[in-house]
Amino acid sequence: MSPKKKIVITIDGKRCEGEEGQTILQIARANGINIPTLCYLEGLTPWGGCRLCVVEVAGNQKLVTSCATPATDGMVITAFSERLTLLRKRILELLFSEGNHICPICPYNKGDCTLQQRGYEHGITGVSYSYLYPARPVDLTGKYFGLDHNRCILCGRCVRTCDEIEGVHALDFGNRGIRNQIVVDLGKTFGESVSCTNCGACVANCPTGALFDKAAAFQAPLVSCQKVVTICPECPLGCGLVVYTRDNRIVNVFGNKESRINGGHLCVKGRYWTWAEPRNRIKQPLVKLNGSFEVVGWEKAFEILRDLYKAVPRERRILLISPRLSNEFGAALREITSEFKVVGVIGARNEGGLVGTAELQPDAISFLEQADAIVIVGAQPVRDNGVLAAKIRVAVRHRGAKLLLFNCRRSDLDQWANISAPLVSVDRAFWKNVAKTISGVKRVVIIYGPEAITPIGLTVFEKLSEVVESSLKRGEWVKSIPLPRSTNILGLASHGYPVVDDLTAFIEGVSPDLVHLVVSDEPHGGVQWLEERGLVDLLKKVGAIIVQGAYESTLTELARVVLPTPIWAERSGTYTSFEGKHLKAERVLPLPSGVKLEEEVLKAIFQKT
Amino acid sequence: MARKQQPEFDIEKIAAMAGQQATPKKVRLATIWLSGCSGCHMSFLDLDERLVELAKMVDIVYSPIVDVKEIPECDVAIVEGCVNNNEQEHELKLLRSRAKFLIALGDCAVTGNVPAMRNQFELRDVMRRGFMQTESTKRVGVPSDPIVPRLFPKVRPIGEVVRVDFYLPGCPPDADTIWYVITELLAGRTPKLEKPKLRYD
Repeated sequence: MSPKKKIVITIDGKRCEGEEGQTILQIARANGINIPTLCYLEGLTPWGGCRLCVVEVAGNQKLVTSCATPATDGMVITAFSERLTLLRKRILELLFSEGNHICPICPYNKGDCTLQQRGYEHGITGVSYSYLYPARPVDLTGKYFGLDHNRCILCGRCVRTCDEIEGVHALDFGNRGIRNQIVVDLGKTFGESVSCTNCGACVANCPTGALFDKAAAFQAPLVSCQKVVTICPECPLGCGLVVYTRDNRIVNVFGNKESRINGGHLCVKGRYWTWAEPRNRIKQPLVKLNGSFEVVGWEKAFEILRDLYKAVPRERRILLISPRLSNEFGAALREITSEFKVVGVIGARNEGGLVGTAELQPDAISFLEQADAIVIVGAQPVRDNGVLAAKIRVAVRHRGAKLLLFNCRRSDLDQWANISAPLVSVDRAFWKNVAKTISGVKRVVIIYGPEAITPIGLTVFEKLSEVVESSLKRGEWVKSIPLPRSTNILGLASHGYPVVDDLTAFIEGVSPDLVHLVVSDEPHGGVQWLEERGLVDLLKKVGAIIVQGAYESTLTELARVVLPTPIWAERSGTYTSFEGKHLKAERVLPLPSGVKLEEEVLKAIFQKT
Repeated sequence: MARKQQPEFDIEKIAAMAGQQATPKKVRLATIWLSGCSGCHMSFLDLDERLVELAKMVDIVYSPIVDVKEIPECDVAIVEGCVNNNEQEHELKLLRSRAKFLIALGDCAVTGNVPAMRNQFELRDVMRRGFMQTESTKRVGVPSDPIVPRLFPKVRPIGEVVRVDFYLPGCPPDADTIWYVITELLAGRTPKLEKPKLRYD
């Protein structure tokens, strides 16, 4: 690309340099002139809806919205004048009088609301228009967030975010004139919506308290919180997080705009599973005595554990660890692996095969962002890696990339796909169709997940590579991106721990008398594994089960001894992402008293310091 | 014209007791409490020891904290709360006609705020809810005595009923802000409300 032509414009007498194609607002901001906005948000298409950013352009009788007007060389602009300030005040007064903006009862009242900020900046004390007091509904049916139409100013940031960032376009405007309002799925509620992914990006970008996180409402103003930048613990993408905390608890979690992976966007797992789920935390060691749990001190717990271990020979003990644990944990565990017959990482079905064969793609995200054809084999990005799914939707819907799905479960991606084949027939006509679909594409990305390492998946893969490679010309490329499901399975596997992706066969093979499970802060307390594989009955037969976990679950119910662990926010460490990068997670909260790090507990059991 | 009554609590006496000679020409200040939670008056009382200072400069001629039955002529009137019923409308209009300068104090007076939340509902439903559907009021029924002030279908901020000379929003405004506004006005200057003095919450 040739460098953009430099242009010079004058704003309020100041010489401002910019590039051709930039809007007046962009050049103004780059030159330190802060034109007030409400509906404008960097990264979204300019909307020009709020009219707060209007400026005067010399030679033009009409006012123009600076957010949506491209600057041209030599423009002379007035951004602040008595007339403009008065107009902006009137616009704000109209916004205040149109809805029901009752600041004292709004969760965004203490400095988090952009509308309120603009009111303060413009010195609005009273409103010269009659208040309308419209009767507007409140939608509290959403799982994690609510929509109070009373506070909505129809800036459309949520609509554009949903369409341009998450790519689902669940939100839009409905009705006309004074009845104009935000609608979900053409008039459903958030609770009924089928297309909403609960990613919460609309909430993060709402300039008022119209969209608000239920769990964060009235907890603490964000402006009063501490901010910690870290990475997401929920999947191997390694999205950047900004965690807001106050008084040693998490108030809210947003995406880190600086992150190369997610650029500020998050999926439901990172945005809400990390903090907004009601879960019962285990705070002290528990020991099952006469069928019921009793709280004991750590010393007593260690005593009981040592007795348990003494009674079982090494060959009959196994240690299973969660793939959410850090590389540091993996390294520390080396000292005690000799105490067990096997130490395994619990993986998703077929994940072992994927981890064993994966050739990591260090720049996977940027390849995905350039691709004009995306092929997914045996992965579930919508369920497992929401940010990746969002990027795929945006690529397909806004960039016109082709999308081919093989051996994937049903998801909303099906509706955008050129080819969606849950079960692949390998007849010639089918592959002819595939070849036809991808003819003419130049940059192909093949994302493959655990399900690609099945006999069907491998057949597809082989055939696919053949078809793709025969259609590409010189200078065009195809990149394969492995996509594991579990957070740090790559890191732990690289420490030499085998991935156990068939727990039933594994446990039946060893027939242990003691199973020590480090489930840590698995979102469902580790129960997902049990339920997915019908393991409960199998574990009931095991003599002694020891669980190190953060949350109560059916798994902890089965245990003889339960030991509390920190949650993701209470430990630091490095994690290996799907690109093979070692990402550092910062500690966000202090370790609660009574909770010990997983590796320290394991070492203490075997008295290795 | 209403007859001026002698307040039971004479502010001049208090000032005199504090060893201060009341100046002959004091500003006459009235405060009124319409539909609001009294929080703004509490904030006014939060002036604390500055009330003594204030008493040197003003006579509080009418207020919920002064036992005067009728609204007298005054220089400055401070209004808390919005207009909910015909009695409040009458009082507010009367106050306006007798005050030289009128301040809307707090969000209820400025925007309608929480009392105006009932504007989303039919008056009949509001009355039924308030007087018949709650546990404590089931048997009373909606009061119909003509002596009881009549609720308007819609709550209005005072700016929609009378002319307002100065808006001081906040729920409630800080005592510091109230002090700043009063002292600036007494000094003959127009107060400039900016953050952090300007607050809507």
